[in-house]
Parts: sequence; structure tokens; C-alpha cells
Amino acid sequence: MSGHGSGRPAGGGAPGGTSTRAREVWAEATDGFNRWVAGDPAGLDDLVGVMTPVLWHVVRSYRLPESAAEDVIQTTWLALVRRRAAIVDAVAIGGWLTTTARREAWRVAQGDGRALPVADDELEPRIPAQRSAEEAAVEQDEGDRLWSAVDGLPERCRRLLRIVAFENRPDYRELASDLGMPVGSIGPTRGRCLAKLRVALMQTGHGTDGHHRGGERA
Amino acid sequence: MSELSRDALLGIVRDVWERHDPVPEHLVTSMQAVAALAASDLDVELMELVEQASELAGARGSSSYTLRFVHGDTDLLLRVAVDGDRSRVDGWVVPPEPMTVRALPEQTPARHAAVVTDTGRFELTDLPLGLLRLRLEPHDATRPAFATPTFEI
Repeated sequence: MSGHGSGRPAGGGAPGGTSTRAREVWAEATDGFNRWVAGDPAGLDDLVGVMTPVLWHVVRSYRLPESAAEDVIQTTWLALVRRRAAIVDAVAIGGWLTTTARREAWRVAQGDGRALPVADDELEPRIPAQRSAEEAAVEQDEGDRLWSAVDGLPERCRRLLRIVAFENRPDYRELASDLGMPVGSIGPTRGRCLAKLRVALMQTGHGTDGHHRGGERA
Repeated sequence: MSELSRDALLGIVRDVWERHDPVPEHLVTSMQAVAALAASDLDVELMELVEQASELAGARGSSSYTLRFVHGDTDLLLRVAVDGDRSRVDGWVVPPEPMTVRALPEQTPARHAAVVTDTGRFELTDLPLGLLRLRLEPHDATRPAFATPTFEI
């Protein structure tokens, strides 16, 4: 488990699906936290190693520039160290970290005047980025088709699905307040976003043969 | 046509983002350093930074600056000199007191530690650039260790 999560290259999707891998990450985080609290500094190393990639994707979903995202993640780790004594439930450490990171990302994004979508009409599709003919041709590549499907989602869907994909069962109540949405709307919104993605994937010719895992192409 | 399951869709979302917006290579390592440094603050008393002054950059990308920290009756003056990708720290403890000064994190404690001389001086050489803090351990065992806050070279 040494080096786990440390700059692991993209596309290393575990075969077990999102929830299995997220659960594993959360379990490793809890284990690292427990060892650190018990006096083993390597436990903190492992906790940071396994959760920093998750925090990256959660924070970047707020469209922060790389340097601002790194600052948010650093703030999150400093908060953990400072408030360690207040964290009683080691099992919930992953959720504590992602929630803290989301709040800070939200705060920074708003402070920047980087307006975040709040209205439901944000569910309208984004205007697709302009592509040159060459780019369109190259897009035959499977990975690019997947990307254009995800990239073409409405902003709120992009953010919500990215967060949900990397978090292990995010707390909807906190997620709702962080995303500026009514609590009751998160579940339905997620369902609609998944449906939109399903349609987008079919439109790009993906998923029609039951072969759907981008990570298995290699 | 098989309908993609929720987990399969979220798996695609994750694969796509890992490929298109990967975690920067240095990020995990630097966050581990940040957390370890912050954690090492937990068990020592912190000195306070009271002065910081930079000097004119010298030739060949070298530069230096001074920092002054205070803790109780102890003053710590540091002159940090950067030359290329290495740095050195010349320190002066006032009043002089026998103590060991270590650069944290202690990956190579033998190399980056020094004992303060009778006149209160010490030097740490060949330090890597990056985040650094110094931990001062009085040889008088009744005196607790104290440390500077983290500063960046």
C-alpha cells in the first residue's frame, strides 16, 4: 500500500466500480487516521496520500485554477491537523475532509467572483466548446468521446457527478448547502444528471454494445 | 442495448476526470510535507516571528534574508542564504545556551542538525529548498523544546 494514491496516473479505475473503490479509499483513510492519532506519523502520511487525490477532484469541480485548488487542499490538511482532537468519529474522516474542502472551495470560488450556478435552469446543456474539423475527426477516439459526453453536461451536473463519483456517499444535506441547492433536490438532480450522461454517451456512440469501461481499453 | 448502471456511469465520470484533470504530480508529496510539518507543531512550543528582512539578491541567483524569532527570553536570529537549489542557515541564539538545533522534517537528521556554540552560533548547510522549520532542543532537560513556525526557503 506504500505509494498508494501518490500521483497515480489517470485511468487506473478499479474493476469493482465506484462505490467499491470509494469504500476502500475511505477505509484506508480511517486506518491512517487511527494510526496517526495513536502516535504513528506514517499514518498521517498514508491518510494524506490516499485522500489528496480525492480532494483534488472535489475541489477542482468548483473550477478553481490549479494553484487556488492546491491552496484549498493545503488549508484542508492544516485544518485537520489543528482540529484533530475534535474529530471523534474516525470512520467519518473521509467525509470530514471532503466537506471541509468543499466549503473552502466554495468560499474561495465566491470570493473570486467566480459565480457558481444557483438556478435550476443551469440544468440546460452548456454550449459545446467550438471544435475544429481536425479535432472533430480525432474525436473518434473512445476516450475523447467519453470526455465530450462528460464535458458537455450542464455545469451543475458536471460538478455534482464529479463530486459524487469521487466521494463515498456524500452527505446530501451538506452537499445541498455547499452547492446552494435545496436538500430534497440533490437526489433527483443526480438522477437527471446521470440520465443526461447516459443519453450523451449513446449519442456519441458509446455504450451500445455493453462495453462501457473506459479503463479496460488498454 | 444494455443500460449503463449508476456505478458504471460514475466509474466513467471518474476515469474521464482522472485522465483530463489528473492530480498534479507533486501534490501528494507536498501535502504530506505540509501535514507532517503542521503535525510537528503540535508537541512543541512555537517561537514567534518578529522580524523579516530581505537583502539584495546577489549574483548568480543567490539571495539571502534574515528572520528573527522570539520565545520567552530567547532570541533567535537567522540568516538564510540561497545559492541555486541549496541553502544554508547561519543562526545566533541570544542569550547563548547549549542546545541542539534540528531542521525539520527530519529526513536526514544527522546532516541537518547542529549544536549551538558558546557564543550562541550555529550553522546548517546544504539544506534543500522548500518548507523548513527549526526545532531547538535545550540540553537542560528541564527546558521544553521549542520550534520556529514553518518558513519557506
